[in-house]
Amino acid sequence: MSADDAARGSSRNRRPRYLPLQILLGFLVVYFLIPFWWLIINSSKSSVGLFGGGNALWFSDDINYVENIRQLFTYGGGIYGRWLLNSALYAFVGGVGATVLAVLAGYGFAKYRFAGRRLAFAILLGAVMVPTTALVIPTFVLFAKIGLTNTIWAVILPTLLNPFGVYLMHVYARDAVPDELLDAARVDGAGELRTFLRIALPLMRPAIVTVLLLSVVASWNNYFLPLAMLSDNRLFPVTVGIGLWQSTASTYGAAGGQSLWSIIILGSLVSVVPLIIAFLTLQRYWQGGLSIGSLK
Amino acid sequence: MATLAGCGGDGNDSASGAGGGGKAANCTNKIQNKDAPVVTMWAWYPNMEKVVDNFNSQHDDVQVCWTNAGAGGDEYDKFQTAVSAGSGAPDVVMLEADRIPTFQVQDALVDLKDLGYEDVKANFSDGAWKDVSVGDGVYGAPVDGGPMGMIYRKDIFDKYQITPPTTWQEYEQAAQKVKDAGGPLFGDFPANQPAYVTALLYQNGAQPFDYSASDGGTIGIDLNSDQVKQVLDYWQGLTSKGLVGKQDQFTPEYISGVIGGDYATYLSAAWAPGYLQGAGVGEGADKGVWATAPMPQWDPGNPVQVNWGGSAFSVTKQADDPKLAAEVAFGVYADDASLKDGWQNQIIFPLNLKVLQDQAFVDYEVPFFSGQQANKEVYVPAANGYQGMTYTPIGQYFYTAFTKQIAAINDGKASGDQAADALQKDVEGYAKEQGFTVE
Amino acid sequence: MTVSSTRPPGTAEKVRPPRRSSPARRQNIAGWLFVAPFGLVFLTMLILPLGYAAYLSLFQKALIGGTRFVWFHNYVKAFHDPSFRDGVWFVIRFSLVLIPVQMAISLAMALILDLMVNRLAKFSRLMIFMPYAIPAVIGALMWGFLYSKNFGPLADIFSTFGAHAPDLLSSNLIFWGLFNVVTWQWAGYYMIILFAALQGIDPTLYEAARIDGASQWQIALRIKIPLVAPALLLILVFALIGTLQFFNEPKILQSLAAGAIPEDFTPNMYAYQQAFSLANYNYGSAISFSLGAVVFVCVYIFLFATRKRGSFLR
Repeated sequence: MSADDAARGSSRNRRPRYLPLQILLGFLVVYFLIPFWWLIINSSKSSVGLFGGGNALWFSDDINYVENIRQLFTYGGGIYGRWLLNSALYAFVGGVGATVLAVLAGYGFAKYRFAGRRLAFAILLGAVMVPTTALVIPTFVLFAKIGLTNTIWAVILPTLLNPFGVYLMHVYARDAVPDELLDAARVDGAGELRTFLRIALPLMRPAIVTVLLLSVVASWNNYFLPLAMLSDNRLFPVTVGIGLWQSTASTYGAAGGQSLWSIIILGSLVSVVPLIIAFLTLQRYWQGGLSIGSLK
Repeated sequence: MATLAGCGGDGNDSASGAGGGGKAANCTNKIQNKDAPVVTMWAWYPNMEKVVDNFNSQHDDVQVCWTNAGAGGDEYDKFQTAVSAGSGAPDVVMLEADRIPTFQVQDALVDLKDLGYEDVKANFSDGAWKDVSVGDGVYGAPVDGGPMGMIYRKDIFDKYQITPPTTWQEYEQAAQKVKDAGGPLFGDFPANQPAYVTALLYQNGAQPFDYSASDGGTIGIDLNSDQVKQVLDYWQGLTSKGLVGKQDQFTPEYISGVIGGDYATYLSAAWAPGYLQGAGVGEGADKGVWATAPMPQWDPGNPVQVNWGGSAFSVTKQADDPKLAAEVAFGVYADDASLKDGWQNQIIFPLNLKVLQDQAFVDYEVPFFSGQQANKEVYVPAANGYQGMTYTPIGQYFYTAFTKQIAAINDGKASGDQAADALQKDVEGYAKEQGFTVE
Repeated sequence: MTVSSTRPPGTAEKVRPPRRSSPARRQNIAGWLFVAPFGLVFLTMLILPLGYAAYLSLFQKALIGGTRFVWFHNYVKAFHDPSFRDGVWFVIRFSLVLIPVQMAISLAMALILDLMVNRLAKFSRLMIFMPYAIPAVIGALMWGFLYSKNFGPLADIFSTFGAHAPDLLSSNLIFWGLFNVVTWQWAGYYMIILFAALQGIDPTLYEAARIDGASQWQIALRIKIPLVAPALLLILVFALIGTLQFFNEPKILQSLAAGAIPEDFTPNMYAYQQAFSLANYNYGSAISFSLGAVVFVCVYIFLFATRKRGSFLR
């Protein structure tokens, strides 16, 4: 790295000094953005434009956005719109639910010394290491036994589990909510729940936004859980729906007469827009919140 | 439980009544006669919505509630999990013929012999029935097949002055000629299409499997016979000499290669034009360059016709009313309008004799092939000469194992000979582990 | 997580000692009530399925002959199964290459961004983080297209130098094809965590170092990196766990590269195939547990090697 040539002197005017680093940064940004650029460009193409040998990173002769958008939202009886709504529902219910549970539990672990607390917390930390994919198989079999597979609950219930979120809330509540404030509230006669809602909750807001965002992203991006649980394509979230189109486009005898690749690419673009907007608008909260649990 | 599924809430849900039992209440199609009992169905034919509408508008006694649960492997995985779980399967499911024994052995499919088979028996050839039968039972209503031919590019053939090869020897010679002249690859050997390579094995007279349900615990596996080895060695030769590609098929990469003229031939089945058109082939610079010819043969005096793909509608054991479900299985995609839509767009090659013997079908000048009478010249003779294959309950595993070996050949890690031996060992091991007696 | 020793006393782990006897009881009940809703989900969605999977893994299922109890036979089989062993070996190799590189990139980016306070830096930070918001399905789809020899930009770039573009979806190079997808997806996320940790460092430390004549390079090496070590450790552990459980990206790229990514490519994929394609939940569960054991051992070795063991569960 070229940090040392930029390092001498104590001038606070940094701009010109880090030119090599700025250039490096520029390259990195290009690398991280290329796939997005590709997505934006190629969702304008028809299948002829896609596969006909034109430049992959520039528009082809006919810009097909309007036609592709029309196809995207009308193909299969407009199923794509429904997938988006499903994703929103799963992400909202699953994300909010997981966050509420994590806030309550994290606060409980941080601020109450109850019997069995240490053991429970140790088990919780162990659970952070259990990957969700390993749980899909037994959860599927159990859900099948009680008839929950192929329902929205098969997707929502497992996403409520977020041990890492509890851990983050615990760390944050422990450090950001002073015991003295809680005690003062109690002395004033407030109940435990009231104390929590009035005193602790506002103080925990940055962490709550972070955990909420992480949960919503995890839920929105979830693929294998709904893939395994759902067989009715009208319940699919958008990730599984696009996967369905992709497999249809890649299976002989399944995609005749209509090109799916254009709407797969446009559908991918449309499906990432909501999360990008959420991240950009909420950046003030999550950028700080993400450091919880590592250094505070 | 069923009520939970309808959460999205829309007009079609009202049709769930007769589906009952936790079945998906959501249909992709519109139910036209809301009082009739409903049969649920998974299928992935691209014109399925039209087909189902045709059926529903002609039937007052039953309505089909159709959904696309995924194409090919995705659907089988879902159906498999539903079978294991004991719930969640539709009443009627679309299966490729080679998958039927896998589910039959798990007692997941209904024997249709007494459920209307006799009424439609005459509509299909014996070979078609053989492919959907296991032992004495009939476990599917045949819909389409995949008689194979050699699709090729006239422009490339003209440029390098070659005519369609009729034997595999000629195929290799032509490939060499094109390569020497600096031309494109001649064909492709895809690891992700084991069913296609299996068809190539049969074409050389290989009989890799021996299985009949009446003797359900015994399975014959002969994947390293001389015929198998000859075919795999042949293709290993072609790939190692750089005469054919090693690209997975049905991927964007392959499609763009096909459009770009990277492959002089595409050995494929009668449904291929529909697939290719759907992917944008034949619409741009490659318009009007496509033609088809019979498959090259090992022994031209004794040609063998083979089949790749083709599906049937099976009735599942989870169907509430198997008789009604069988009526749907036999009736859907059996009316003239649906069949015509299927074959005219080259989406399917129907097995229904009504179509195969219809002069309009035989003489049809296929637009994709610039008016060539592809059915008459290539696909109908191929279908008529097709002797059927033997499918087994371990087909799913066999394909996975075969994919690995094809990849090994393509990577230069195994000769065809070695690959065949490894494949035999692998599949035999799995069959034994699954409790079969291997012969 | 490991910083309790550096934190001023009073705010840390010391949960209030109970002062009166009735509050102690109140603590007990209220504490459990706060934890209970999550606890319920934890029991039903994690402990129960895990227990059930453990139970399933003790049976053997065959297409002919049905299901029978076999004790730990499935585990013995798994550790002798070349598919499982090769898969484990692959994910370990992949972790050993991926994680150090990914961490180095993330840390370097975080240090650069911490150094610079301008619009470009702010914009870059967001853009580098953005891939995290992309579903793995779509990330893999995009890269799959970008890798294309026929119509991807790689082909264009290499052909200007008269070279053939590498096929990152071929058996030989799939390792790097996946490496790139994963790095692209996660490096920004790790970078943000490290960046946030860097921003939390007291700036007066830098001033003091500068007065002592330290260069930026030295400040980064001597002050910044040691102070973000706990964050680095945390993400290393998560990266290790995630990589050993490698599943999404290869499973999705498989539709483009079935030859290079067989069904038993990683242990998790193998478990999924056994369970969902071959309907063998029993063996699938056994593989999952065996993989869990491997993960546990690897994480323990890692924590031991970094001498931080126990700090995670302090």
